[in-house]
Amino acid sequence: MNFLNPLLLLGALGIGLPILAHMLNRFEVKHTDWAAMQFLNRSVRVRSRQLRLRDVILLILRCLAMLLLILAITRPSMKSRHALVSALGEKRAGVVIALDASFSMQHRDGTQTRFERALEKVESIADGIRTGDSVTLILLGAEHRTVIRNAAFDADAFAELLGEQKATSEALHVDSVPRILKELAAEMKAPEKEIHIVTDMQEQDWKPRSIWLQESLKDLARNASVFLVPIEGGPENLAITGLELVSGVLRKGTSARYRATVRNCGANVAQNVRVTGLLNRISVDVKVIPVIAPGTSETVSLFFPFRDPGPVKIAAELSDDALAADNTRQAVAVIRDRVSVLCVEGSDGDGQSAGRLIAAALRARDNRKVQDDLAVRSVSWVDLPSQDLKQFDVVILADVPDITVEQARSFERFVRAGNGLIWFAGDYVKADAWNQRSALEGSPLLPGTIEEPISTIDAMGIGRSLDPSLTDHPVCRPLLSLAEDLLSETRFRTMLRVKPSATSTKVLSLAGSDSPLLLEHSLGRGHVFMFTTSAGSAWNNMAVTPVFPMLLQQMVTYLTGREFETPRTVGDTLSLSYVEQPDATDAVFDTPAGETITVPVREYRNQYVALLGNAREAGFYLARVSLQAAGMPIAVNVDTRESMVKSMLSAETKRILKDSGVRVVRSSDEILAGMEESRESHSLWRILMMAGLAFFVIESLFAQWMSKRSPKTGENH
Amino acid sequence: MTDHITQINYLDPELLQKLGDLELVAREVVEGLRVGSHRSPLRGFSTEFAHHRQYAPGDPIRDLDWRVYGRTDRYYTKLYEAETNFDCHVLIDASASMSYGSGKVNKLEYAKFLAASMAYLVLKQRDSVGLSIFDSEVRTYMPPRSAMGIIVEIDKMLREIVPTPKTTVAKQLHDIALMMKRRSFVILISDLLADVEDIMAGLDHLRFDGHNVVVLHTLDPYELEFPFKGTWRFEGLEREEPLTTQPERIREDYVANLDKYLTALRSGCIGANIDYKTVDTSRPLDGVLNEFFAERATTLNGGAVGARL
Repeated sequence: MNFLNPLLLLGALGIGLPILAHMLNRFEVKHTDWAAMQFLNRSVRVRSRQLRLRDVILLILRCLAMLLLILAITRPSMKSRHALVSALGEKRAGVVIALDASFSMQHRDGTQTRFERALEKVESIADGIRTGDSVTLILLGAEHRTVIRNAAFDADAFAELLGEQKATSEALHVDSVPRILKELAAEMKAPEKEIHIVTDMQEQDWKPRSIWLQESLKDLARNASVFLVPIEGGPENLAITGLELVSGVLRKGTSARYRATVRNCGANVAQNVRVTGLLNRISVDVKVIPVIAPGTSETVSLFFPFRDPGPVKIAAELSDDALAADNTRQAVAVIRDRVSVLCVEGSDGDGQSAGRLIAAALRARDNRKVQDDLAVRSVSWVDLPSQDLKQFDVVILADVPDITVEQARSFERFVRAGNGLIWFAGDYVKADAWNQRSALEGSPLLPGTIEEPISTIDAMGIGRSLDPSLTDHPVCRPLLSLAEDLLSETRFRTMLRVKPSATSTKVLSLAGSDSPLLLEHSLGRGHVFMFTTSAGSAWNNMAVTPVFPMLLQQMVTYLTGREFETPRTVGDTLSLSYVEQPDATDAVFDTPAGETITVPVREYRNQYVALLGNAREAGFYLARVSLQAAGMPIAVNVDTRESMVKSMLSAETKRILKDSGVRVVRSSDEILAGMEESRESHSLWRILMMAGLAFFVIESLFAQWMSKRSPKTGENH
Repeated sequence: MTDHITQINYLDPELLQKLGDLELVAREVVEGLRVGSHRSPLRGFSTEFAHHRQYAPGDPIRDLDWRVYGRTDRYYTKLYEAETNFDCHVLIDASASMSYGSGKVNKLEYAKFLAASMAYLVLKQRDSVGLSIFDSEVRTYMPPRSAMGIIVEIDKMLREIVPTPKTTVAKQLHDIALMMKRRSFVILISDLLADVEDIMAGLDHLRFDGHNVVVLHTLDPYELEFPFKGTWRFEGLEREEPLTTQPERIREDYVANLDKYLTALRSGCIGANIDYKTVDTSRPLDGVLNEFFAERATTLNGGAVGARL
């Protein structure tokens, strides 16, 4: 016999209380001499003995009742096939149902989605649950969501609740599933426990973790009967796995090229895959990919023209396929009306001065006409104090020897407010002074500590070329589209040795070495780029190659971007931050489904931030500081790792689950038969509770009957 | 009486016990009854004719003078005056059961006060009073005398008694009846914890010998009400088998047995023309005596008892 609450067995000591009371009553006898003993005659003595007997009977009944009730609350169960136990006990079980609600479950092989088929299986499981059994229903995803937890089962309420469930846009976080199921099963107070996992068993999740899963499931099966209900499905699925800005500036009147990556997750060749570029939900570009081989990805360029300033919603969309959730990829771009760049020059300002080269590179797109949307002002470093930084979006410091502490603080504020700073090395740079000024209280202004200049001339007597270290960095992307010879044409002869700070990222390196050419780090809402080489022609020939305008324009585009332009993934935290304290104390997030979520604005590290903990939907969220304020869209995309929808094959499933103690049940009959078979224990608490209460009633009736009988006894004498 | 304790409103047995002097107690009790303002409530057999009165309905038939009727054909009733010269014999039960008392005064002490008070009353009427004390046998027999000092002797005799278990009331009453030479007024003070038939046999003997018998049945209030709570062990004073029980649960049975016994005893006494009075030893003595005399006067007027004034 097992007890769910074995500690409560200590309560059995409680039956000592009535016995103790009885004994105390018996032993606490007062003595008296008595003359009228003749009235305490035989019948009275018999009556007295009867009373003692009655007391003993009542005591026994009371003790029995108490013992049975204590046993009942310890929730005993017995594993026995004996007819009496079967007749008295009930086959009770606590049931945990884990329903895979990741977006792969939206995959439609035929008329039904996998999730709809899974719901039917859950209904079959519910048929095998008795009213009053403990039930937990958890939806599995990136963040598992418990729908009901350890609740008494009610078929109607459960069916109603089940009907309200929908598959999410989340990917399945498989690694945390065994742990959460174990916890949920452990908290159940039931003689038998069952865990039903209803999932499409994606090969990409299960296969790489087969040994770990086998062990985890084996561990689960030690304390519960584990049933796996596979919802099988085919692999066919096309997904847009990426949408990135490749080139172009995000300014009014310009166009930008975005790259959409389409992956064929299926086993068949996909032909004539049509990809549509949507700007604010309006189709602006359509491309067709003739062929995508199974298991491969193809990219396609989509051009988005920006006619108006402000935030725009950019999306790439596939034509409908078996799984719609990953057919769209979103991004946000903030189109600027005008970008102002301040170029501060530390050199003398001759014909090849850094300032002029930088200005030329930034205006490289069209030198013949004056660009209204890009303003570049070049000043000497001695004129820096007279400049108002608020008028500029990006400041470029080229070979500036030194700055004051106040200037350093003002640059920090400038960057933290969401602007950009590009720093170039040069002969005039005073390393010690910069290191000293750069060292701010929290994080340094520059992403590295300056050491001495080093020569990078190779054995041939020419400098080394560059190597884009971070191929996926927005600054590197256009470089990758350059021809190899153009890249190798850029040569660096001298550079500063720097010690990168802990928060910095190496964007460009010197080819064949680990020495960084370009470092980046973020400061507040803005970024700082640090070139370890010069902008002029003294240390390299970069300024006269096509690399330089590409790099500078891409960097300015990147630096004038905002944090919400970076697409997020479902499950990420969405944030809305302000340098100045906003008027409202709450921020509002409108979800893609139209729901409005209000979150408080809190002060965090000299900023005011509103955080939405978990973005559950894919699409465009709209963040506002108040209901009346203009919204800022934030793109949230699905995690396309989930797009590999191919389910495990039966044979493979069998292999993984071999000796794990997990039963695979497919049909409704198999589910019900498995549940019936696994329930060996019979819960006895109900019968014990009823017996205990019955004994209390009997004791009460017996006592009442005896007390009614007493006068008659007296009269008989 | 100049030495009457005027401050005492009622004669509580415990207070009397504190007084110690039995004669004083008796005097207090009896003077409190205001003897002299009424006719003697104790009417002996020796009677003296006073005069005749025409019969009136309600007069006892036994007092009709049949001789006058024979001569005159009219009904006349004989009227008598109390004769002060009669013998009163007080019998005190000193068995072990009489030593029970739930309060400070046990039944024997109370019996002593009762006996002394009765003796004092009789002596005050200038009649003779005698005393017998018995338990398993007759311990003391003192023939009737009219000296007041008998009260002191009663006290002395009672003090010397060592209570003995196993009272055989019938036998003692038989023995005492044999000892008494004249028809007397017999007052039996006892708890009568014995078989009713046995007791009645002894009392009948006294009645057959022509004695006028009064039974003062002394019982402790606890014996009457049985108010014990909790678990008690009752040790019999007369060597009965002890009983451990929860009295409150058998109280009904006990009271039923007691009522049955008292009813039988009272019925037996009425049948044998014996005055019977249950005396609760927690009650004041004067109250008990007053009540007894009042009842007796009523009974005599009703002509139920064959005593004469």
